[in-house]
Amino acid sequence: MIGQFFKKSRFRTQHDLIGKHREFFKNFDQTRPLEEYNFVVLDTELTGMNRKKDEIISIGAVKIRNLQIDLRQTFHYYIRPRKLDHTEATLVHRITPDQLWEAPPLSEVIPKFVSFIGMDILVGHHIELDMSFLHDATRKVLNGTLVNPGIDTMRMAKGYKRVMLGHYHDMGEMSPRYNLKDLSSEFNLPGFEAHDALEDALQAAYLFLFLTKKFKAGGLVSLRDLYLADRSGGMTGE
Amino acid sequence: MSKRERDKIEPPILAFDSSVHAVAPNVAVEFFKNTMPFKELTDNILLSLAKHCRIDFFPKGTRLLTYNESEITHLYLIQRGGVKAFITDEEDRIVLKDYRGVGANIGALGLIRGTRANLNIETVEDTFCFLLDRDIFLKLVQENSVVAHFYLKNFSDNVVATAYSELRRKRMTRRTTDALYLFRVTAGELTKTLHSISDTTSIQKAAAIMSRHSIGSLLVHGDEKPDSMVGIVTDTDFRTKVIAAGLDYKEPVTTIMSRPLETVQSQTLCFDILLKMMSTGIHHLGVEQKGRVIGVVTSHDVMIQQGNSPYYLFKEIVAQPDFQGLYPLGLKISDIIRNIINEGAKAGNITRMIAILNDQIVNRILGLLQDQMGPPPVKFCWLLMGSEGRREQTFKTDQDNAIIYADPENDKQRRQAEVYFATFAKKAIDHLVQCGYPLCKGDVMARNPKWCQPLSVWKSYFLHWINAPDPEELLNSTIFFDFRYGFGTEQLAVDLKEYLLEQSKKNGLLTFHLGRQCITNKAPLSFFNNFVVEKNGEHRDKLDIKARGLTPFVNFARTLALKYGIRETNTLTRLKILMTEEKIPRDLYQATADAYEFQMQLRLIHQLAQIENGDVPDNFIHPEQLTDIEKRMLRDAFTVIERTQSFLENLFPAT
Repeated sequence: MIGQFFKKSRFRTQHDLIGKHREFFKNFDQTRPLEEYNFVVLDTELTGMNRKKDEIISIGAVKIRNLQIDLRQTFHYYIRPRKLDHTEATLVHRITPDQLWEAPPLSEVIPKFVSFIGMDILVGHHIELDMSFLHDATRKVLNGTLVNPGIDTMRMAKGYKRVMLGHYHDMGEMSPRYNLKDLSSEFNLPGFEAHDALEDALQAAYLFLFLTKKFKAGGLVSLRDLYLADRSGGMTGE
Repeated sequence: MSKRERDKIEPPILAFDSSVHAVAPNVAVEFFKNTMPFKELTDNILLSLAKHCRIDFFPKGTRLLTYNESEITHLYLIQRGGVKAFITDEEDRIVLKDYRGVGANIGALGLIRGTRANLNIETVEDTFCFLLDRDIFLKLVQENSVVAHFYLKNFSDNVVATAYSELRRKRMTRRTTDALYLFRVTAGELTKTLHSISDTTSIQKAAAIMSRHSIGSLLVHGDEKPDSMVGIVTDTDFRTKVIAAGLDYKEPVTTIMSRPLETVQSQTLCFDILLKMMSTGIHHLGVEQKGRVIGVVTSHDVMIQQGNSPYYLFKEIVAQPDFQGLYPLGLKISDIIRNIINEGAKAGNITRMIAILNDQIVNRILGLLQDQMGPPPVKFCWLLMGSEGRREQTFKTDQDNAIIYADPENDKQRRQAEVYFATFAKKAIDHLVQCGYPLCKGDVMARNPKWCQPLSVWKSYFLHWINAPDPEELLNSTIFFDFRYGFGTEQLAVDLKEYLLEQSKKNGLLTFHLGRQCITNKAPLSFFNNFVVEKNGEHRDKLDIKARGLTPFVNFARTLALKYGIRETNTLTRLKILMTEEKIPRDLYQATADAYEFQMQLRLIHQLAQIENGDVPDNFIHPEQLTDIEKRMLRDAFTVIERTQSFLENLFPAT
């Protein structure tokens, strides 16, 4: 714990990594064709939903280049939480306390993660939750927040159904569920028992690839087109 | 496995930028684990593969590859969905080749062969694929025989057909633009033995002479002046001028002959002969050498030089009335072989064709010889041994033959037989040499008294090999076990074969020794550029495809044929019978037959190329002559040899 305080005090200004990102995204061009962008699809596992108390205990991510999932570039770390006693989430995620004991602390994993994502666009299923915890983490470790644009596959899926399939009125009892598992089986994606953050990220990546290419086949060409496809906000950012 | 442990695993076969942090998601590993041929690989390799692939999604109706256009940069493995493979014909109609679903691949063949797409591929459902980059896939194929074997076997027909057509296309230095012979062969080379009659001869006598010699034309010389040709009579003259006109057969031949005799010089090229024939309408020309007519050349002689049809040659051989006429026909067999290779025949069929033609030459030579020498004192049979006995000759290989004759009844007959057959054999072998069949270096020929013996002696030879096999001696005797009937009284060969099979069945020692020899005969080969080559000697760094590649299969088939009393001598036929009689499993049959025939084909084409270059054909193949796929198929063939050895090991345990 002392180490963390020490580290935090070293960064009086935001970390280099964060600074570069801010510079890059200042003049970010959204009009290029989709395949020219690199994406990182990510998933985090948390001890709970409370931003004040709960912590990230695992980050999984895969890269998408040229609109293909690139398994040569994946990211997967367990993170040793400050408090190891709350075990509910660890049971859900099938992470054993031993695995967490062996894992590096957040302060080690976050810089690795930030350099892994580079200037890529972040993608996740219900990504706002992951981002809120990641922002907290980077603020803590690197003295700044991530500025990479983000795309939420859940919103994309809603947009896809509305725009591409014409499901404008799916509400109430009829309303389909938008969790990753249900969407995957609805779209007949290769599915698997989610059991860690990497596999969840991969599942979201399949969904993203599916939706993006379906949109593309429907005439969407640029990143901006994708964003506009769901005016309720396909994209999120700082 | 914990995250930390996973991290420590370095890619075992594929070295990549290790600075990239890569973990293989279980889903990818699981996919490979359940997909042929990857499921055969070790966990380490699977993990490494999973770490080095990409995943792509292709909505329904996406074109993945286009025939003859798309460069194939990676292997597609279908994880979800399906594709159709099709081509379009000249009229733009779609010809469906197949559907491929989960676990199937796209592009393996093209990657291995290094060619563009050979089919159009389009998704028929929303399809997810794992993609393996070309380099990774090829490395995998090269380093894991399971994988290579799978793709080569899986596409066996396809690949083999392609390899064969590649072989044909690439190796056939097209010497014949099918017209080149016209500029190479001269009238003198085509000329047959001179037949001429005096101008006082009657029409009937002339016709009788032509029938006796089976010739279509006859030169007519001046009375008392045999060197001075005055004209020529042909079949047509008899038809149109004699029979149709009701002419008296006793009239002199001069009344119907064409005169004067049109001639060409003996060095005249075929091309000019044809020109003259076409411009004059005359199909029989005298051939002149130093002012003398030495014979006749006909349009038929010129046409047959094209040598396109084996049947044509076959008929020529059958109809040949004299030895001299047979010599050039024997030499023409190579031309026929080139043509049938060009036409896409497989090695098994080619060697069968060669056997038929060679048999016919032997038949004619020995038939003529017997006519010349008169009937033999006792019945006899000309045996063909070794590759000829197995009907596996390629280009002119050595003569391996023997004579077996009926046991003489008394000493006088015995002496007669010895003299007759010694002379017969010597003359026959000389004629065969003239036809282009070289002498056997080991002197396994009928002119060697040891191999010209009555049936009882032959039986004692075989009994000796069967009951007291000396391993050293056996090595040199194997060709005798592949004998078959060539000419004469077939029953003698049948009797000897029955005896051999009966005895070797009774006493398993011979087949045991043959089997052990197959097992222990490990070739002194080394790997050079991923290729098996000779370690030492004159042909270092080359592969002796006959000794290393083909002989093991020949020996394997012979050993089992003798063990199970199979009369056949041909290796492919022996293997087939062994399979149908359930002596060897079907997959071993398929593997051995494929490996054997492919190597036969390589050998044929190698030798043909040498002949076309004017070299003496041999069996030494340099790896650089081979394409990647040929190398791979050859290495595959060598693994089949090991399979035959372990099969024999079970049958003939060393204890």
